[in-house]
Amino acid sequence: MKRSFKDDFNMMAMLLIPIAVAVNLVGFQLANVLRLPIFLDTIGTIIVGVIAGPWVALLTGLITNLINGIFNPVYFPYALTSIAIGVGAGYLSKYGFFKSVPKTIISGIIITFIAVIVSAPITVFVFGGVTGNTSSLITAAFLASGQELWSAVFSSSFITEVADKVVSVLIVYFIVKAMSDRYLSKMNYGDLYMKRNNRK
Amino acid sequence: MKQNILLQLHPMTKFFFTLFIFAVVLISPGYIFSFAIFPILILIAMLAGVAKEFLNIVIKALVTVLIFIFIMQMFFYPGENVLWEWGIFEIKQEGIKYGLLLTSRILAIGSAFILFFRMTEVRDFVKSLEDIGLPPMGAYVVLSTLQIIPEMRRQANTIMEAQKTRGVETEGSIFVRAKAFIPTLTPLILSSIAGTEERAITLESRAFSAPVKKTSLHQLSKSNMDRALPIVFALVVIGLIVWRFFL
Repeated sequence: MKRSFKDDFNMMAMLLIPIAVAVNLVGFQLANVLRLPIFLDTIGTIIVGVIAGPWVALLTGLITNLINGIFNPVYFPYALTSIAIGVGAGYLSKYGFFKSVPKTIISGIIITFIAVIVSAPITVFVFGGVTGNTSSLITAAFLASGQELWSAVFSSSFITEVADKVVSVLIVYFIVKAMSDRYLSKMNYGDLYMKRNNRK
Repeated sequence: MKQNILLQLHPMTKFFFTLFIFAVVLISPGYIFSFAIFPILILIAMLAGVAKEFLNIVIKALVTVLIFIFIMQMFFYPGENVLWEWGIFEIKQEGIKYGLLLTSRILAIGSAFILFFRMTEVRDFVKSLEDIGLPPMGAYVVLSTLQIIPEMRRQANTIMEAQKTRGVETEGSIFVRAKAFIPTLTPLILSSIAGTEERAITLESRAFSAPVKKTSLHQLSKSNMDRALPIVFALVVIGLIVWRFFL
């Protein structure tokens, strides 16, 4: 299957972006309402990566953080993390990583690594190591126990991210499974997940 | 409201001002200068009549972050001159200095962006980006995102209420609460993507993806001020760079 860069940006994929951004925000809000200890604020970006490919997901991540940044500029630098998560999810989907539960969990762990590797330098260089969320407390605890700044930031953000991302990709897996073939057939990477394939 | 000269500036001029603050803060040495920018921003917000919202958002978004960052640097920044000690905690002079530098910069840059979005309608900003080459599709995506968010929030609440009526628990242990997440989010996403097809048809029936120049109902105009100010900003930044690195 050959796809050009421009083919990814068809009308249906672009119309998915606003919904995905809203899902990111609503997911975060729901996790708050239900008092869950994880953020679940990248579900929309990952869905777009899975069914519409890495480049559309890149835009989704960027727009999510720009809109969050309107009310809290701390989000602006982390746009890079969202972009990396989207592109990562897109490539994982291309190579069939969201087709079964075990593979989905593996891709969740890969996405965690992507998120941590991209966000840790931002946390260290832009904010000096902490941004005032839960992982900052863990960072502080690691620092107090004598760890280096970099390893403290890496390990604390890995601890907070891994559960979040694995749960997020599993939710994405089940949602994509529930999508109709009729809709999936219109998305660029949707044919990978159509139920029709299983019947053969 | 419309008489306000600051609010009437072209969105790009205000955006250049934000970038200008960003550049000035990064170039200028020390924290006193960066802290001095914040009162200036408050003054601009007052002149534009948005001071209350501006301060509200600054307090909500930035103050806890800044306090956190400052305390962290105070205790953990490597340094020699220990000012105060208690157990494993040491306050160092270098830490306080670096903490002040970092917080002053984040405060100045962060509040400059907050001020920008208080003074500029996102609609105007997107239109001005479109004028300098953002594809109309991109502009549509950003604007419809802003529209769709409150809509989907409402819908999420409705779905959650409906699922509660069915007997889905939203209170109790963490696993019980976590289980309520999927029955709320799945219908929300599936029903929203079902609507995209209709929107695609609506847009296409107005020839949205036709390769022609689009006309817009919403027009922005540039005044002389909008032509002059970006040049002034650029000159000041160049002047600062020369002063800082070459003199």
